[in-house]
Amino acid sequence: MATEEKKKELLEKLRNAVIQYDEDTAKEAANEALSTGIDANDAIFNGLVSGMVEVGRMFEAQEYFVPELLMCADALYAGLDILKPHVKQLDLGVKGSVVIGTVEGDVHDIGKNIVKMMFDVAGFTVYDLGRDVPLDKFVQEQLRTDSDLVCLSAMMTTTMTGMKKVIDDLRTRNPNVKIMIGGAPVSQDVANKYGADGYAKDATNALKDAINMISSLKKMKDEAEARKAK
Amino acid sequence: MTTTMTARERVLKLFAGEDVDRPPCFSGMGNVTTEGLKALNQKFAATHLDAKMMAAAAVSTYRLFGFECGVAPFDLCIEAEALGCEINVYAHSEDLLYPTIKKKLIHNEAEMELSIPSNLTGRGRVPLMLDVIGLMKKDIGSEAAVGSYVLGPFTLAGQVMELNDLLKLSFKKPDKIGRLLDQLSDVIIQVAGQYEKAGVDYITVREMGATSDVLSPRVFKSLILPYLRKIFEKIAVPSVLHICGKTNDIVPFMAESGAKAISVDQKNDVAETRKKLGNKALVFGNYDPYNVLVAGTPELVRQTIRKCMDDGVSAVWPGCDIWPTVPAENFKTMMDEVRNYRR
Repeated sequence: MATEEKKKELLEKLRNAVIQYDEDTAKEAANEALSTGIDANDAIFNGLVSGMVEVGRMFEAQEYFVPELLMCADALYAGLDILKPHVKQLDLGVKGSVVIGTVEGDVHDIGKNIVKMMFDVAGFTVYDLGRDVPLDKFVQEQLRTDSDLVCLSAMMTTTMTGMKKVIDDLRTRNPNVKIMIGGAPVSQDVANKYGADGYAKDATNALKDAINMISSLKKMKDEAEARKAK
Repeated sequence: MTTTMTARERVLKLFAGEDVDRPPCFSGMGNVTTEGLKALNQKFAATHLDAKMMAAAAVSTYRLFGFECGVAPFDLCIEAEALGCEINVYAHSEDLLYPTIKKKLIHNEAEMELSIPSNLTGRGRVPLMLDVIGLMKKDIGSEAAVGSYVLGPFTLAGQVMELNDLLKLSFKKPDKIGRLLDQLSDVIIQVAGQYEKAGVDYITVREMGATSDVLSPRVFKSLILPYLRKIFEKIAVPSVLHICGKTNDIVPFMAESGAKAISVDQKNDVAETRKKLGNKALVFGNYDPYNVLVAGTPELVRQTIRKCMDDGVSAVWPGCDIWPTVPAENFKTMMDEVRNYRR
């Protein structure tokens, strides 16, 4: 087992690898973490995700911009790919399956990919439909996979209006499904008007929302563990 | 007071730095409306491929509402298509979908040595665009300003290669991206040159990919600005540099690009920009064409247009393409407000 000190050092190494968008170091630190017996979940949340939270802060403070954000995401994935096979699945009481995509007419997928990353981190099963997705496809995929969450992204006002159709259609077929919308033109007002359950305004907010979701998942995880311990 | 200036005179005088009776209300970007399409009995998807339909749609906003220009095209794919990208016009769709690039030219770093076709301006829809400009000129050219737009080099790069790669390489290998932007600048200069020959009164360069929502002001200055300068040096007609999203920190650089005017959207603090750039600078903007013009009440439209004018815009001009479903009442309110406010 790793000593507390070694563990702290490796978590810090993972965190910094993400912040400094250093893929090689992220891989190295992930392997070291596994070989010294650090729990993969711990390495993901307290190493990689902790780094991404800081990246989100730096993005908001305009210290980082989208290129840096994308490179940090690459570093996170480099570590995640190594750690993920070692995650012990916990029964979180949620199904954790999401359909995600950018609506038809819109070929921008960077925001969508950042949200997707956070779902990957959280251990969700992600059905990524990609970009420029015909509106019917969201409904079909939700029904096929019985996912509890559908995320729609639109980068342009010109495609945002298509989201309303998808939401209406989803609600008719499956009233229980949760729908999150995001993208530059989307506002809380639009989300309300369209009948979405949640919205992420831009990359920063998407990141925050996704992090919030992960935090609540962590809370559920802790509660589940507490129950087990009793 | 009755006005004796035509819309065209007003716009051209403004660009020339001469006095105008009031700020013009026009745009350098798409402004076709569903009202216009309805009156012409045209489908949006069909207007992108037919010169007569495109020209008719492009002048319909002037005809219907007195918006002081005609602008074509309506999509952002002309240059990329001429370079060899495939586009999708969503012909099947009854919705308002703008054409997008279906197939990019550059799929990885190794493919970045672009070969520019020798007959570039004879390819894709460039010839169609020249017809459209001719038709617009013939139709409204004596009364209203006729304009067109090209993409900025970085935004065009985002059309011909994966945005993900473009953004990361801008950071990791700026020299390589610089070479691509240089090549694309030549493409843009060629296309803009043809539009000039066809008779446009002004050209807008849309470089929204380099907004501060995406790129740092530092990278804008070092990587983007030199190529914008190269382009504006070669555009002979009045020119506008448009960047949407966050622009507060880059307006001084935009003003150094050589463009006659800069265009910003609702995220820009125009009063502050006016202070930074002085009284002479031409600053166009900056109402939100969707949340105000389409989704807002006439009262919100009125307040927003007043604020634009109070903040000191040189022309009342949208932050982006005008989204077609704008209610007629809102459009009329905007035009009335520009004509009557403070007069």
